[in-house]
Amino acid sequence: MSDKEPKKSGLFQIFKDIVYGMSSHEMTRHAVRSRASMEHLFILITMGDLLGVPILPPYYSLRLLPYVTPQISTWKRRMLRERDITDTIG
Amino acid sequence: MSLRDVFERHPERRYIMFGGKGGLGKTTLSATCAYWLARQGKRVLLFSVDPQASLSDIFQKDIFGKGAVPIVENLWAQEIDADKRIKEYQDEIRQKILDMYGFDRVPEEIDNYIASASAEPAMEESAIFDAVVDIIVKGDYDYYIYDLVPLGHALYYLSMAKVYDEWINKITKLRQDMGQYDQVAATLRREAHVEEDKILEELRYIKGRINTSSQILTDKKRTAFFFVLVPEEMIILDTQKAAELFARFDVPVSGYVVNRVLPQELRGANVPAFLRNRMQMQEKHLGAIRANLGSQILAYVPEMERDVSGLPMVERLARQLFESP
Repeated sequence: MSDKEPKKSGLFQIFKDIVYGMSSHEMTRHAVRSRASMEHLFILITMGDLLGVPILPPYYSLRLLPYVTPQISTWKRRMLRERDITDTIG
Repeated sequence: MSLRDVFERHPERRYIMFGGKGGLGKTTLSATCAYWLARQGKRVLLFSVDPQASLSDIFQKDIFGKGAVPIVENLWAQEIDADKRIKEYQDEIRQKILDMYGFDRVPEEIDNYIASASAEPAMEESAIFDAVVDIIVKGDYDYYIYDLVPLGHALYYLSMAKVYDEWINKITKLRQDMGQYDQVAATLRREAHVEEDKILEELRYIKGRINTSSQILTDKKRTAFFFVLVPEEMIILDTQKAAELFARFDVPVSGYVVNRVLPQELRGANVPAFLRNRMQMQEKHLGAIRANLGSQILAYVPEMERDVSGLPMVERLARQLFESP
């Protein structure tokens, strides 16, 4: 994010990044992770047919398909894999 | 009150539907009604939402999947070809995926999904449902006359609108929540701008389509729904049940039309016992219908000596239905 702006003060920028890393980075990560989980939930309820769980009437779910095409394969992997011990740690 | 009175007193009711069990003459009555309104100088579109439509038979002209075809002055008829529409829709989706990601072909997994989704039985109904919205939003006719599918389908059609609507509300909400997380992440990273959610836009579009259609079906001001029945015991019972269900979905029932009534002039003549028995049976059931529905009966349509097909026959029936005192 910082490389877009012209660097006025290198030292100040480093200080800013350190503060960000210490304080908000964890929160940001959490927000992004929650967002990703919800993305998968969203695909499940709209594209459930792909796993054999028909939920939304297919005519309109097809309209949404182009937008989620790139996520489909990771989503299927996540939904179908077996849970193991690392899940509880992560 | 007669059928004609309903149209004259309520010119704002532009969406006209005839419902009833299969084979009772819904298509015939829709066509007759459309023909008469067109003769009154109104621009009328008669369209069929039935996959096994028979408007082509009644006008003796092949109109299936050809868009709005002119029949006589001011009257157009249309039969929706659901299969063709689904195919075009699939191609549209495939093309969109190719355009969005610059693929030279659709990934196999995705393509299989598109093919299997289209094989679902609900697909055809949904496609027709969507086609009807297209027809209606164009809005360039004075009257839209639906040649409805048999009762069970009509109810399915209505309940589908409700289910769809609730679903869309739920997933729209989820999508909005996701947007908030995006916003939080962006703020924490001090990014000013969050990308507009295209999916949310699509969901709103879908919701709009569904609402347009179901609002019309339940609009007391602009919609007139007529039940068609015949004087037979089973039909009377089924119609009563259907009327209760329709009331539950808030469909504004404007009245009933009793079809296939044996003509009065047969009475007293030298009729064979078979026909006399049929007439007595009908008389009994007509009594029951009158007692039950009373002033809600708008017309008694006589049984014709031949099929109603071809314009001269439609015209004859229109005169019977609207011009006779």
